Amino acid sequence: MTTVTGDAPAGRGGVLGQPLDSREDPQLLRGEATYVADIDLPGTAHMAILGSPVAHAKILSIETKAAEQLPGVLKVATAADFTDVMPLPCIWIPGGVESHFPPHPYGLPGARPVLTGDTVRHVGDPVAVVVAETPRQAAAALAAIHVEYEPLPVVTRADEALADGAPQLHEAVPGNLNAYWTCGDKDRTDAAIAAAEVTVELDLVNQRTINSPIEPRGAVGDYDPATGEYTLYASTQGPHNHRFLLAALVLGIPFNKLRVIAPTVGGSFGTKGYLYPDMPLVLLLSKALGRPVKWVDTRTGLMSSTVQGRDHRQHVTLAGTRDGRITAVRCTSYANLGAYPSTIGPGVATALMGRSISGMYDIGAAFCEVYAAFTNTVSLGAQRGSGRAEAAFLMERLVDRYADEIGMDPAAVRRKNLVPEEKFPYDNGLGWTYDSGNYRLNFDKAIELSGYGDMPARRAEARTRGKRLGVGIATYVAICGVGPSTRMSQEGMLGGTWESANIRIHPTGEVTVTVGSASTGQSHGTIFAQVAADELGIDPATVQVHEGDTQKAPYGQGTYGSRSYSMAAPAVVLTARKLKAKLVRAGAVFLGVPEDKVVYEGGAIHEEGNPENTKTFAELAMAMWYGWGLPPEIEPALDETTHFDPPDFNYPFGTHVAVVEIDELTGETEVVAYTAVDDAGNIGNPKIVQGQIEGSIVHGLGQALMEAAEYDENGRLISSDLGHYALPRAADAPFFALDKTVTPSPHNPLGAKGAGEIATVPPAAAVVNAVVDALRDLGVRHIDMPLTPEKVWRHLRGESQ
Amino acid sequence: MDITLNVNGRPEQFSAQPNELLVERLRDGLGLTGTKVGCDTGQCGSCVVRLDGRSVKSCLVLTASAAGGEVATIEGVTARGGELSGLQEALRQEHGTQCGFCTPGMVMALGELVDATADGPAPTEPEIREWLTGNLCRCTGYHSVVRGVQRACAASRDEVPAGSAASTAAVPEV
Repeated sequence: MTTVTGDAPAGRGGVLGQPLDSREDPQLLRGEATYVADIDLPGTAHMAILGSPVAHAKILSIETKAAEQLPGVLKVATAADFTDVMPLPCIWIPGGVESHFPPHPYGLPGARPVLTGDTVRHVGDPVAVVVAETPRQAAAALAAIHVEYEPLPVVTRADEALADGAPQLHEAVPGNLNAYWTCGDKDRTDAAIAAAEVTVELDLVNQRTINSPIEPRGAVGDYDPATGEYTLYASTQGPHNHRFLLAALVLGIPFNKLRVIAPTVGGSFGTKGYLYPDMPLVLLLSKALGRPVKWVDTRTGLMSSTVQGRDHRQHVTLAGTRDGRITAVRCTSYANLGAYPSTIGPGVATALMGRSISGMYDIGAAFCEVYAAFTNTVSLGAQRGSGRAEAAFLMERLVDRYADEIGMDPAAVRRKNLVPEEKFPYDNGLGWTYDSGNYRLNFDKAIELSGYGDMPARRAEARTRGKRLGVGIATYVAICGVGPSTRMSQEGMLGGTWESANIRIHPTGEVTVTVGSASTGQSHGTIFAQVAADELGIDPATVQVHEGDTQKAPYGQGTYGSRSYSMAAPAVVLTARKLKAKLVRAGAVFLGVPEDKVVYEGGAIHEEGNPENTKTFAELAMAMWYGWGLPPEIEPALDETTHFDPPDFNYPFGTHVAVVEIDELTGETEVVAYTAVDDAGNIGNPKIVQGQIEGSIVHGLGQALMEAAEYDENGRLISSDLGHYALPRAADAPFFALDKTVTPSPHNPLGAKGAGEIATVPPAAAVVNAVVDALRDLGVRHIDMPLTPEKVWRHLRGESQ
Repeated sequence: MDITLNVNGRPEQFSAQPNELLVERLRDGLGLTGTKVGCDTGQCGSCVVRLDGRSVKSCLVLTASAAGGEVATIEGVTARGGELSGLQEALRQEHGTQCGFCTPGMVMALGELVDATADGPAPTEPEIREWLTGNLCRCTGYHSVVRGVQRACAASRDEVPAGSAASTAAVPEV
């Protein structure tokens, strides 16, 4: 394993590793990019969705006549109109299943229907749709639909949903238990805990959060009766995946009759990779009405229908020696899946969380069990850092609790337990095998950069200003590069998780790269051009990138779990290598020398030892296009595709240090300094990655300090708009001190690891550790997130929450 | 009711319902889709335009109440495909955008800050952050945006951009 610190090694063409400006930015800055809401096809009709106002009820009747007679209304539809449409499938069923699709998803326990016909199970559960000439007419008509509900008892917490006598959500799922899932070695862990010198325990609530991309979701369906083809424009982070799910599993139409296009997508953070009812609805209604049908969500609609994140209630235990050696960790978690299994939510709540709990530590025994339950809340899905953030939170809270218990510095405890460099690849005993890492180097760098040693003086100085200063450390390992298809099948993921890239070199020498991935703001057009140009040794300005349209791009799962650079970019590299090899083979003909005398360098070929005998890239491209004089074993043209399925995941990691000041009078917590040293392997474009890391940290701070999806006792979502759901604003964080270590992954030709969301994983733990540190002398040992001023103020006054 | 608006220097005449929102007129009526709708409640700032020079959230302004006014949208800042303004160029250099959905609203809001402080000292970092409070961004964490404004203000004053990624050790490059 090679460990490099400082700058990432520049790529072969000298382009990779450079902070090139994002080529997407000028268009975005001029407001010229087209998002779904900006698409205006001729003859478009507009759809609005009626969501249930109650959390759990039987539908006794739906009266639509009044709505149908309103001006502009073209169609009102309910579940009765879609009886031949299959429910929206869940394709990540925890526990591991055979790697093939069920032939038909009817009967999949708890699967969500396109529209709900008999029983609504959360506020916002869609029960009817209206299509009208204008969006206002469609919205107005919703008010004229009369639905009679017979209320049923409500449960919104996973642990309560599993209790005897709890309200039942699905007949096919007795006791509301979707999955009981475990990983690790229970007996060994229990024994280690029983025999330990020290044990600490915590009850944690990892609160439900709402991802809140600034662009709400939207969909436009366009059916062409002449060809029988459907086109869906959607704010999706996985157009190919959505095509597959919709064509094969919901609509039952031929795969090649559905085209999915992701235009510019306004952020996602996990939520736009899921299948939602609006997607089949706009397609079916477009066919029914003979017009394009468009739907754009509202913010309140987004908050009560787009998947939500986190939501675990956990009892966690850590065992260790008096001198700071951790010997076991155990987690029992109640995960709230919401009312229906979302596309991959059950897998997020189990495998992504459970297999990650030991983090950067070399622990002899670990065990995690998850009870995944249905409740009357919005379906659970991914949120930036999904699963890994929940895991890092519990482990890093435990380590601080343990350090406190044995009277040792939390940094010293962590350092003592880091997986040593010589143990890689490292089997963490929970199902992951970490590929590479130098954790101690990374940790030391962060501790030094944060000025950890100066904290006592800073603490004393803060007190003179009426502030309590606290410092919190959090480390993490984030499984990324989903994934090796066989490995994912063992996790229960139904679907190929590989990624592909096509490169076409045009006769004039310009290059087009198409990838299956789809950007939701990560400057893919810049970075994939950079990768191709670097490998081919050409100017990135001559490379154009296309993605997000299933008719143009080769298959790929899409952007999630920080996988584009470590999954799709390697496919670009391998494709470029195929093209280079072909150019060398053909070059032997063009140069009139044996193949082993042809040198490919700087986007041109020449004869070894004779630079005069050369062909430029453009000359080669034109010659390959003409195809004149090529021997029969060499096909004309330059057009190659690669499907990349890595041997295993990759495992970025890092150390973050938060310094907070708490106002003694108001309980307000201010993050006054934040240090992050992350290791994402070799980095392709440091400017783009820096932006993602800064955004990720603020996302994590949001969960720690202010974000919470709150339901009342009737299952009503109180935080149903941005006036009732706080998001971090520009004044909520200082500039961060950022640095990196670079440990290349051996599992892809770029040595890349995931980067986009990894820095969301530790901030919540770092901030809560810092706040508890600031209040330790008051006897505070834990505070549940979010750390609102009121909550902290009560702890300052010695009151519990 | 019949209304006249001057939009990006062009007079526009149309008939509007009393409850029509300015953002609806701009996007649906005039096809100026650079202005975005993110939250419906005036929280996110994606719909910020300038009305008579002041930045306003166009989802909170009735078209009728803007009658006779001068409206500037992102489309009026630069020509399509044209050269970026100083602020836009500075934001580009600092990569102050990711998904770009909140970006037009930010450019309009920050444009007022840059204009309003042009004749005096450059706004401080806390002042920039305070000014940005009405604009939500979920991608960038705001840092690159703040650096972009610092860069823009420095460039217009022929100064070295304070706090820019290129020039400061306080923000080491990742």
